[in-house]
Parts: sequence; structure tokens; C-alpha cells
Amino acid sequence: MGFTFTLLMPKIRPSAWFLIAAGFCWLLLLLSTLSRGQPIPGLAANWPRWLLLVAQGGFAACVFLYTRVQPDALIGQNFIGLLRALFRRGLALSVALLVLVGIDQLATAHTLPLPGNITTAVVYTIALALFIVFLAQVLYAWRSLVSFRGGAKLRREWMVFELTLGLALMMQLLVWQMSPSLRLGVGIGLALFGVYLSGHQRWVAYLNNSQKWQAILLQLGILGFTLLFLFYLRNAQNDPVLLAPATQLSFLVLSSFFASFYAIAGLLITLFNLPIAEVFEQRRAEILGLQHLSQIIQRGQSAPEIYQMLFNSAIQTIKAHAAILMPERQPGELTKSSLTTLRYQFSADDIPLVEPLLTPLPGTPRVVELIDNNLERSKRLAGSSIPYGSMAVLPLQSTSHNYGTLLLLHKEPHAFDSEVLSILHTFTAQTVLSLENLQLAQESLSNQRTQDELRIAALVQERLIPKRLPTDDWFEISTYAQAAKEVGGDFYDFLHLPGQKLAVLIGDVSGKGVTAAFHTAQMKGIFHALMQANPLAKKERDRYPDPHRFMVQANEALTHCLERSSFITAAFYLIDYQAGGFSFARAGHCHTLYYHSIKEEVSYFRTEGLGLGIIRDVAYEKHVKTQFWDYNPGDVMVIYTDGIVEARDGEGNEYGEERLRQMLEACFYQSAEEINEHLRHDVQEFSRGQPLHDDQTLLVIKFKAAQPHT
Amino acid sequence: MKVTTHTSTDTLTLVLDGELDASSAVVLDAELNKPEILNYRKVLVDCQRLSYISSAGLGVFISHLQRLQDSDVKLVFFNMQEKVFNVFEILGLDSLMHIVPTEQEAQAA
Repeated sequence: MGFTFTLLMPKIRPSAWFLIAAGFCWLLLLLSTLSRGQPIPGLAANWPRWLLLVAQGGFAACVFLYTRVQPDALIGQNFIGLLRALFRRGLALSVALLVLVGIDQLATAHTLPLPGNITTAVVYTIALALFIVFLAQVLYAWRSLVSFRGGAKLRREWMVFELTLGLALMMQLLVWQMSPSLRLGVGIGLALFGVYLSGHQRWVAYLNNSQKWQAILLQLGILGFTLLFLFYLRNAQNDPVLLAPATQLSFLVLSSFFASFYAIAGLLITLFNLPIAEVFEQRRAEILGLQHLSQIIQRGQSAPEIYQMLFNSAIQTIKAHAAILMPERQPGELTKSSLTTLRYQFSADDIPLVEPLLTPLPGTPRVVELIDNNLERSKRLAGSSIPYGSMAVLPLQSTSHNYGTLLLLHKEPHAFDSEVLSILHTFTAQTVLSLENLQLAQESLSNQRTQDELRIAALVQERLIPKRLPTDDWFEISTYAQAAKEVGGDFYDFLHLPGQKLAVLIGDVSGKGVTAAFHTAQMKGIFHALMQANPLAKKERDRYPDPHRFMVQANEALTHCLERSSFITAAFYLIDYQAGGFSFARAGHCHTLYYHSIKEEVSYFRTEGLGLGIIRDVAYEKHVKTQFWDYNPGDVMVIYTDGIVEARDGEGNEYGEERLRQMLEACFYQSAEEINEHLRHDVQEFSRGQPLHDDQTLLVIKFKAAQPHT
Repeated sequence: MKVTTHTSTDTLTLVLDGELDASSAVVLDAELNKPEILNYRKVLVDCQRLSYISSAGLGVFISHLQRLQDSDVKLVFFNMQEKVFNVFEILGLDSLMHIVPTEQEAQAA
């Protein structure tokens, strides 16, 4: 039976049952009221009083319960929306009321063909119903507002309030002969509870200025509608036509009381809040301004940007009437952009007045902060085009640097109170921090770059050092190379060629760093590329390019990429064992030191030859030439770079060619390795304690005393 | 290093005092880059007080050589100290640039 019942019943929401019950109660109420008046055909007269009360109570209860279970009317923080909706409903209901009253008046005056008494009763019942509906709406709207940010405790208190209100309603129903003092007591208790709840108006603080005024007006409206209904009902009570018993006065009165009191309280609080609110708005704006500055200033890419951000934020936040920001360039600042002084509403004529304030006093390292809140009295800016009231001079400085000065002016005196100053100090501190960060970032970047360059250059240098020296039975080679702290451009290389030939290259790229390292690599590349045997050569000596051609081709290759004011010195030797001699070319490089075993003398080959990269066209050909020399067993060749002969001692004297020559004279008979050691040892002795400021390279080639037969 | 200039109708004389290292080479380069230089017939360089020349300094002179030659401006060095002249000589610049012992010869060049 129950099963089929649920099947047959259409799907009705639980809350809708309340509406249905309410409608039923209302009908009951209507009929009861009618029955108590003039007899109406078809209607039993004088329905019992309790039925009337039950109908009223039941209706009120159902409407309230129905409204209670509706979803919260407050969406987010849209308080004005809530009030507006409530106002609209109130307005609609009030208009309906007035229409009904109008009809009633007309019926009573017999203008309308309606039975007067019945009309009055019907109108009254409808009006009552409308009022109850309105009250329910208001009460539960107030619930949303009361419990906004109220917490669990407040929700419990509201529950208690509701229950007590419900009890008041029930009491009237069940015990309608309550003692007046008890009734009064309960009434006062509930009223006080309502007053207490009306204190919870936290939502008012979340309104902005225009919303506050709207709230006041809407609350007034709602109050008005409530009073209108109360006025009508009070009058209706006294209507002789309406012989209805006192309605559930206590319940309705209490609800109306709370509804009105909350509205009044809210209204007053909003009204009194307004002037205080302005101050809070201002403070809030300042704090937001600070937050905003903190965020954007961290994204500042350049010093001018950061200064501009500070300037704008400071002016906006404290509503300055004029301002100047004079930045100060930091030593070693990489950005070449000029830092212009920022001005806002500041007449150029007034600049001389403030200039002394913006620069440090003679003898002092920095600008001092100055706050003058009564310029009129101190006459500090007497003579300015606009009479200012207060002034703040704020230096932007860290413990180590001065970044500039900010000057703010306000027309009112006492504009720079302690709170404003604390905000401004935070602004300037943020700015200095950002500027310092920016500087550090730039420095670190350039440091990193320099380090990277040096590292790469050192790496290249390291890679290009010939790891294995050629060995053969007719010569000895010994090498020594020391790079200066700043990577320079010395290079050397050997190639042991088929046919018992030895090619030797030495050189020095002017300049330092990565570019020099690049060119040393280039020279070595040219060396290896050009020392390829020509398969078509008919004569042995044509098999490999001669030194002159080597230099010309090297010069040609360099023209395209050597920097404008760079050049390269080089010397190239092609030693031929079978021929017993060598050919060489000197392109601006140090003269070759040679020990002639037959003559037993040590001397320099003084040959002509222009450095590479000086004449960058074919005319260079004429400036370098190949020399030939036959060697004898026991001969020693010493090849070096200018870092050797230009090494300085403590008094600024150079080591020089002569001293090198004398050293070789003393040790030529030793092995290449020993000779090399002697020579470099002497150089190191000579320049002991002095820093190395140019690369040093020293190659010793000794033709063995006993040359094996071919 | 200090660079002082004397001018006469058709001659510009640069007097170099001190060591021509990498940083002073930049100053010299700026001086030689001035377009007015090309209006002179001769540019004389007084090297009496030039005690040292680095590869940067040499590079500056080398780089302006062609430009001056193309505008028919003669570049003449005089009163060069021996060790400075040595540097020019090893590099082979003595065959490329006019280097004379005295000022008179420089004026006459």
C-alpha cells in the first residue's frame, strides 16, 4: 500500500510540503475568520477559536520553516544584492497590501459590488499572510547577515533564538491562557536576545563607500515596509467588522521587533561608520600601495624603471601635491642610460629652493632625512610658487651607497605623520633593496662573463700546446711555455714531415683573452693546412710551401678576421735534414738566436720581415722573404717570444737580447733540455719577484753532434 | 701617458709623454680618430718622452696608417728612444712608417 502510494505521488520536494501545508492552513484561517463574522450561506458559523489560532500558527510556522530551508540568499559578499532583493519583495508586497486596502475601502463604501464584510475579512487574511511571508524573508536574510563571519558559536545562538521564537509561537497555540507576566517575561527575554544578535553587523565593514549609502537607503525602505504592515494590522485589529481574536501578537510582534531592530542597528552602524571608514580606506589604500610596489619593484629591469615605480607609488599613496626624485649614478654602473631627475607638479622656478636639500652638505657624505610638517611656521620654502604645508626629504641609501633623494610636498600641514612616514620608509627601503639587487646581478653577470672568457681561453691554450715533441736521431728539441695570468697569444707548433723534414712555427698574437686565443688556434690551423705535401711537385724543395709563401698565405687568411688594430708576429722554419739546411721567414717576430759550431760564435739572425696583419693586401708579399742557412752538427737554434727578452727586473730593466746571447754562449755544448733549463732559469732569476705580464715561450733545437748517415 | 698637440698651418704635432700601454692606447686612438686630422698635410709624432710602447699602442698607429695614407697625410715619427725604435724595427714597421731622428728632418719630410 505504501509502495504504490509513493509511486502514485508525483515527486515533490520536501520543502514544498511546507508550502502545501501553509496553503492548507491559510484556507483554514480564512474560513475561520469568515465564520466569525457575518453568517455566510454554506459556512458553519463561529468556528472554534482554537482552530483559528492553530490555522494562524500553523501558517506562520510553515512559511517560516519553508523559508528556513531555502538556500542561503546571500551569495558571496553581495550584501547589497541581498538587501535589494529583500527591498523589491517588500515593495511588491506593500503595493499588494495597498491595492487590497484600496479594494476593501471601495467595497466598504459600496463603490464596488462586493460584500463589505467578507471583503474586509479576506483582505485582512491575505494581508496577514503577506506580512508573515515578508517577515520570514527579512528574518532569514538577517540570519545570513548576522552569521557572516560569525563562526559556529553564533550559529548556535541563532538556533537558540529560532527555537525560542518557535516556542513563543507554540505557547500561544497550546496554552492560550498564559499569565501576562510570564508572557511579558518571555517577550522581553526574546527582545533582548534580538538586541544582542543585532550587534553582529560585521558585513557593514566590507562595504565600500557607495555601497554603504545604498545599504542605508535599502534598510530604511525595508523598515518602512515593516512599519506599513504593522500599522495596517494594528488598525485592522480595531475594525468592528473583523471580530477576530487577537492574532499571534507575541510571535509576530517579536519577529517584527527583531526585523526592525536589526535594520535600525545596521543603518546606524553604517551611518556612524562612514567617517571612520574613510580613514580606514585611506590606510588600506596605503597598504595596498605598498604591496603593489613590492610586487612590481621586484620585476624592475633597470634602475630608471625602479626609480619611476617608487616615484609613482609614493605620490599616489600619500596623495602628494608635488614631488622630485633625484637619482644618483653608482660608480661602475654598466647601464649607460642616463638617470633623469623625476618631477611631478613641481615648478622649475622652485628648484633652486630645494636643491640644497637634495644634495649633501659640504663635509657630510650623504643627504639627511628631513621632515617638516609645518612649512608655514618654519618658512623653509618661503618664496615657493605654491604655498606648501608640509615636506619630506627622504634619502635613498644603504649602508654603503647613496642612490638618490626623494622629496615630497603636500599643501596641508601635518601630512607626514608617523604612519605615513612608516609607509614611505618601507617604500624607500624596498627601492634601495631592489637597486642593490639589480647592481649585484649586473656585477655578477659581468664577472661571470669575464671568468668564462678566461676559462675558455685557458682551455684553448691548453689544447693547442703540442703534447708530443717530434724526435729523431738528428735533432733534439726542448720547449718551455708559460702563459701570463691574463691569457695571452703565444703559440708554437712542430710538424715532423716525411723526408726527414721538421717544420717549426712560433708566434705571438697581440692582445689578450678569447680573441687572442682564437687567433693562435687559427695560426696553428693554417700551419697544419699548409704543411701538406704537394703531390705534383717535381722538385723536393717544392714539395712543401716555402716560408715566404707560408707567411703570405697566413697573412691572407688573417685579413678577413683579425681585429682592426691587432697584428701577429711569427717565425717559420723548414729544416731539411737531407739537404743539411733550413729555410725560414721572420714576420715581425723576435730574431733567432743561433750558435754556429764551426765559427764557435753565438749571434742573431737579423732578417727583414713585416708582422702579419699590418698590410692586409697583396702588397705584403714584398715585405717578407725566405732566408736560407746550412746547419752543422752541434749547432743550436734558440727561438723565443718577447716575453723572454722583455722580462723586467725590479728596477724596470729588460732582460734583453744581449743577456740571452751571453747565456747561450755559456751552455751551447749541453743538451737541448739543459740549455733550455739554463736559459729560462736565468730569466726567472732576473725577474724574480716580478709578476709575469706577458706569455713566455722558449724553444731550443739542437742539431746532434753526430749526424747519422742518410 | 699624456698626449699634447701643437698645430701649425698644415702640420699637427702629437707629443707623447710616458708609457703607451693598453689604456692610453684608447686615448690615442680617440685622438687619431678625429676627422680634423685629415685636413693636415703632416702628422708628426714627438717620441722623445715616450718610454715604452705596447702592442696595443703599435696597433693604434698601424690601424690609422692606411687611412692617413689614403688622405695623403704623412705620418712621421721623430726623436724616438732606442728601445722604442727597436720594437718598431723588429716588427718591420721601420720600412713602413717614416721614422727619423730629429724634428728638423721630420719637418722637412
